[in-house]
Amino acid sequence: MGQLILRRLVFMVFMLIGLMAIVFAISNIAPGDPARLAAGPDATNEMVEQIRVERGLDKPLVSRFVVYLTNLATGDFGTSLHTKRAVFDDLARYFPATLELVVLSISFAVLLGVPLGMLGAVFQNKVPDQTIRFIAVSGVALPMFWLGLMLQWYLSLEWDLFPLGGRLGIMTPRPENITGMYTVDALIQGDFRAFREAFWHLVLPSLALSLPALASIIRVNRAEMLETLNKDYILNAQAQGIGPFRVVSAYALKNAILPTLAIIGLRFGWMLGGTVLVESVFDFPGVGLYATKAAVNSDFDPIVAVTLVLGASFMLVNLIIDLAYALLDPRVRSQI
Amino acid sequence: MAVSRRIATKFIAGAAVLVGTLVMPSLQMANAAEEVDGKLYMVIAGRQPVSHLDPALKYDLSVRMMQQQLYDALVKYEGNPSEIKPWLAESWSTSDDGLTWTFNLAKNAKFHDGSPVNADAIVYSYKRTMEINEGPAWMLDGFVEPDNVTAVDEHTVSFKLNKPYAAFLSFLPWWYIVNPALVETNAKDGDMGKGYLQENAAGSGPYMLERFEQGTAYVVKRNENYWKGFPYDNDRMGGVIYKLIRESAGQRAALIKGEADIVTGLSVEERQAVAKRDDIDITSLPSLTTFGLKMNTTKGVTADLNIRKALAYAYDYDSFIQIMNGEARLQTSPFTDAVKGQVEIADMPRRDIAKAKEYLAKTKHPDGGFEVEYVYVEGFELERQMGLSMIDAFKDINVTVKMVPMTWPNMVALGSKPETSPDLLAIFATPVSTDPDAIAIQYHPESFGKYYGSHFLEDPELIKLIEAGRAETEWEKRAPIYAQIQQKIVDLQPEIFGMMRNRGMAHRTWVKGYQDSPIRMGGEIDFYGVHLDPQ
Repeated sequence: MGQLILRRLVFMVFMLIGLMAIVFAISNIAPGDPARLAAGPDATNEMVEQIRVERGLDKPLVSRFVVYLTNLATGDFGTSLHTKRAVFDDLARYFPATLELVVLSISFAVLLGVPLGMLGAVFQNKVPDQTIRFIAVSGVALPMFWLGLMLQWYLSLEWDLFPLGGRLGIMTPRPENITGMYTVDALIQGDFRAFREAFWHLVLPSLALSLPALASIIRVNRAEMLETLNKDYILNAQAQGIGPFRVVSAYALKNAILPTLAIIGLRFGWMLGGTVLVESVFDFPGVGLYATKAAVNSDFDPIVAVTLVLGASFMLVNLIIDLAYALLDPRVRSQI
Repeated sequence: MAVSRRIATKFIAGAAVLVGTLVMPSLQMANAAEEVDGKLYMVIAGRQPVSHLDPALKYDLSVRMMQQQLYDALVKYEGNPSEIKPWLAESWSTSDDGLTWTFNLAKNAKFHDGSPVNADAIVYSYKRTMEINEGPAWMLDGFVEPDNVTAVDEHTVSFKLNKPYAAFLSFLPWWYIVNPALVETNAKDGDMGKGYLQENAAGSGPYMLERFEQGTAYVVKRNENYWKGFPYDNDRMGGVIYKLIRESAGQRAALIKGEADIVTGLSVEERQAVAKRDDIDITSLPSLTTFGLKMNTTKGVTADLNIRKALAYAYDYDSFIQIMNGEARLQTSPFTDAVKGQVEIADMPRRDIAKAKEYLAKTKHPDGGFEVEYVYVEGFELERQMGLSMIDAFKDINVTVKMVPMTWPNMVALGSKPETSPDLLAIFATPVSTDPDAIAIQYHPESFGKYYGSHFLEDPELIKLIEAGRAETEWEKRAPIYAQIQQKIVDLQPEIFGMMRNRGMAHRTWVKGYQDSPIRMGGEIDFYGVHLDPQ
C-alpha cells in the first residue's frame, strides 16, 4: 500500500509539471498585453516597458518557464500583476475558502445522495422513487447560477433564514487564521458562535453547488443498488432472517457504493474548478473568482498557480478515492 | 423486494436530522447600517474589489475611492461641475512663465498617527510616486523631475516644471500624501513601502483603515479628529464598509433588505425599479465619460475620411438614448459637457442618409457593398445592442457590420497597433481631469497604443493645436485653441461620437449629504460628506 502511494505521488509530480507546461504555454500564447493592462489605461509606453522588463515578459517563453519552475521550487508562485501581491498569499487566502465550500457541498451531496439513491432503488417505480428521480433530473437540468439566485431570493430575502452572501457577518470578529477555513478555525479555537455563523453562510452556496453532484450520486447509486439488490447473496441474507434495513444499508450498499465513490472523486474535482458562478452569486471570496479575474486580466502567474493547486487537489482526492476502493473491495486490495 | 416500514422510518429519520440542521435558528445580522458600539457604519455594496491601497500604484475606481478616504492630496475635486478645491494646500501661485508652482500648506493638517503633514511629507510622496513610476506617475511624466519638487519651508512646497503645463493642477488631486516616517519604518528590501501600503494606510484622510479583507469587505473608521473637520454634525456616524456584492440581483436584495445603504453599478432599469420604493432614492448625473466608436484611420475602409463621415451620418444616434432608457445625452462635441472649454459643434453628424450617401459617393465604394468590423466587450449588453442598431442603420447605405465580441484585454491588445486595430472599436473613456487637455491628448500620437488611441489619427495641424493648448497657461488664450481643436476633431471624424450616459447609485433614504461630481467614475463615492441619519 505504501509503495502504491509513493508511486502515485511521484507520478503526480510529473503530471503537474506537464499540466503546468500546457497552461503556461496556452496562457502566454493567448493574445493580450498583460504589461499594458497592469500599467493602467493611461500609462506611458515607457511605464509599460518597465513593467514588461521587471516581470520578465520580454523574455522568450521557454526561459520564462524555466524561471517560473526555479522560483516554484522555492515556493514562489510569482506576483499577480493585477493585485500586485504574491500569488502564494492570494491563494492562501482564497483556496481554503473554496475548499471549505466544496467539502461541505460534497458532504451534502453524499449525505443526501446516497440515502436517496438507496430509497429510490428500494421503492423502485413507486412515488418515493419518482420523486427522487425528479430531484435527480432537476439537479442536472437546473443552472447552478439560477438556482443560487432563487435560493438567495427566497431563503434569504423573502424568508430571512440565511445570510445573502459572504463568509461571515461583516463586523463579526474573524477566527484566528490557522487553516484559513473559518468553520475549522472557529472549532479549533472553541469559538462556536463564529462556527455557527460561518456554517450558516456556507449553507446556501453549498446547496447550490452540490445539486449537480447530488443528482449524479443519486442516479449512480440507485442504479447500482437496483443491480445489487437482485444478487443472490442479498436473497441469502434475507433468507437468513437478517433485518431488511441491515441488508440494504450494510450488505447491498457496500458493493453498490464503489461506482459512487468514483463519481464523488470526479465531482469533487469538478466542483473545485467550477465554483465561480456560486462564488459570484453569494460573494464568496474563493479561488474561482480569483482565477476568473486573473484569466480576464491575462494575469499569468495566478492562472498557472491556480491550475496547479486545483490539479494537485484533484489528483490527491482521486488517490484517496482509489485507496478507499482498496479498503472496501478485497479484490482491488489483492491486486496492490 | 418487500421492505418493511422500519426501513422507510429510518431513512426518514436520517433525512429529518439533515433538514433539521438546515432550519437552525437564523444568525442574521441586524438590518440597516451596521452598528458597532453605538456608532453607525454605512454599507456600500459595490462590485469591484479594492486590489490594494498604495497611492503610487493604481487608481481604478474602487482603489481611488478608498484612497480618497484614507489620504489627502494638495487639492481635491468637489461638486458639480467638478472644481478643484484647496485641501492640504490652502493656496497656491504660479510664476509668470508658468514654470514654478508654489503651494502653501494648511498648518493644522495631521496624519492619523498625529504627526504633521508638512512640506517634507509632500516632497517625499511625490518623489516616491515618480520613482516607482506606476499608477499616477504618467500624469506629470516629462513635466516635473523628482528633484524639482522641493520644500521651501515647513509649510511651503515648490514644483519647478520642465515646460509650462496648463493641466498640471488638474492632476494633483490624485497624488496622495503618505506619512514618510510610517512608510520608511515598514519598508522592506528597498521596496519603498510598497509591500506595507498594499493593505495598510499611512495617510491623513477623513477615514482610517479598520479592516482590509480582500475580496469581501473593506472597513474604514471615521477619523473623528480629522484636521479639516466634517461638513455635517452627526456623531453617530462611525465608519463605512465597502462590501462586495457582485451580482445586481444580490445588490438589489441587499438594498431592499437593508443590508446595504448604498449600491453602485446598477443599470438604469434596475435603478428605476428600486426607486419605486419609498425608502430608496436614486441619483443620476451625466458623467465625464465619453462613449464613442473609434475608427482606425490608417487601414481598411475607415482610412478614408469620406467613409468615416458616411458611417457617422448613417449611424442612428437615437439608439444611444433608447438603449440607455433616456438616461443619456448625445455628445455635441468630442469633449463631454463637464470638460472645461467645451463648445457645441454646429455640424456634429446626426443621422442623415442623404448626406451619408453623398460622402459615400466620393469614395471607392460609391454604392457601399463593404463590411465593417465592430469590436466590443464580450458580455456587455449595452455595446451589443449598439452593434445591432448599427447593423440596422448601415443597411441604408448598403454596408454590413460584423460584430466581434472580445474580452477587454484582447480588445486593448488589438487596438494598440495600427495594423490590428479594428474598423470600429466601442470605447468608454473616462479622463481623470476636467482640463480639456485630458481629452484633446486622446487625439495626439502620444495616445497611440492606449485603448482610446486606437484611431491612430495623426494630423499635423491638430497635433500643433493640442501642443499649443497644453503649453499656454492663460485660460483666455487657451479657450479659443480648444474650440478649434474640437471642431478639427469633428472634421477629421476619427470616431462616431456617441453619448454621455448618466451614472448613478441607489441608496436608502437615511443616507444624507451625498454629493456627486462628474469627475468621479461610475460607482465611485466620496465618503467625506456622506452620513447616516436613520430617524
